[in-house]
Amino acid sequence: MPDDNWPGEWLRAVLPLCVLAAVAAEETYGYAVAQRLQAAGLGTVKGGTLYPVLNRLEEEGFLTSSWREGAGGPGRKYFTVTAAGAEHLADRTSAWQSFTERAEGLLPSARSPR
Amino acid sequence: MSTDTATYRRDLLRALRSHHVAPDRIGEIVAEVESHVAETGETPVEAFGPAREYAAGFAGPRPLGARLAGVWLVVLGAACGWLIANGVFGLVADERVHGMPAGVALALGALLWVPPMIGQLRRQLPVADPRTGRRMTPGPAAVVVSMTVFLALLAAATWLVAVLTV
Repeated sequence: MPDDNWPGEWLRAVLPLCVLAAVAAEETYGYAVAQRLQAAGLGTVKGGTLYPVLNRLEEEGFLTSSWREGAGGPGRKYFTVTAAGAEHLADRTSAWQSFTERAEGLLPSARSPR
Repeated sequence: MSTDTATYRRDLLRALRSHHVAPDRIGEIVAEVESHVAETGETPVEAFGPAREYAAGFAGPRPLGARLAGVWLVVLGAACGWLIANGVFGLVADERVHGMPAGVALALGALLWVPPMIGQLRRQLPVADPRTGRRMTPGPAAVVVSMTVFLALLAAATWLVAVLTV
């Protein structure tokens, strides 16, 4: 399966956590988050999908944002993770790893004959 | 700003207002779209989908009070139009309107236009661009002027019809 064609429900489930992880790695802005997700192999995440996720994370108190003047552009909205966001990321990352390990235990190996 | 972005801004502002999104949030949402497409080189529709569909994702429940106020303002607007039209016809024909002088009906009609104007001013609070602090939408003066001009045009059109038919 090509990297940019993951089932939509997988991406919807993991996107908030991946976006939070991208912002937690460094203070950043929307387009850079989209590039980071694409470089990680999650495919192209359009603005119409990304910004509602960023806004929800901000409403939940996991991110804060501020506008800064861009170099010749119209300005960028930078996002920073909060202490609550970092804690949430650590908790959910651990839970996600347990979850995917359990799911993996149920699935046949990709190389095993059917 | 390209034509695509300017058109999208106008459509998105209108759609977000129709969903009763708070002015501060509207400013943020529009600025995010413009900032993002300036970075990616995409058109706003490519990146965010049609403005109406993107705006629908931010819609909250419309309070009952706002719905009732909307109905009340439509009723007042209709009464205003009726009084203005009858007042103008009364003036041209030199007749009373339901027992009152035509000028009084005209003045009453104009007075009934004030609550819809206030309602419109409250509904269309200016949206500020969070990047610059400048307004993204016309200010209250533009709302008052446009609604006053609309009423004056209505009265003028009615007067023309009255002169031609009475």
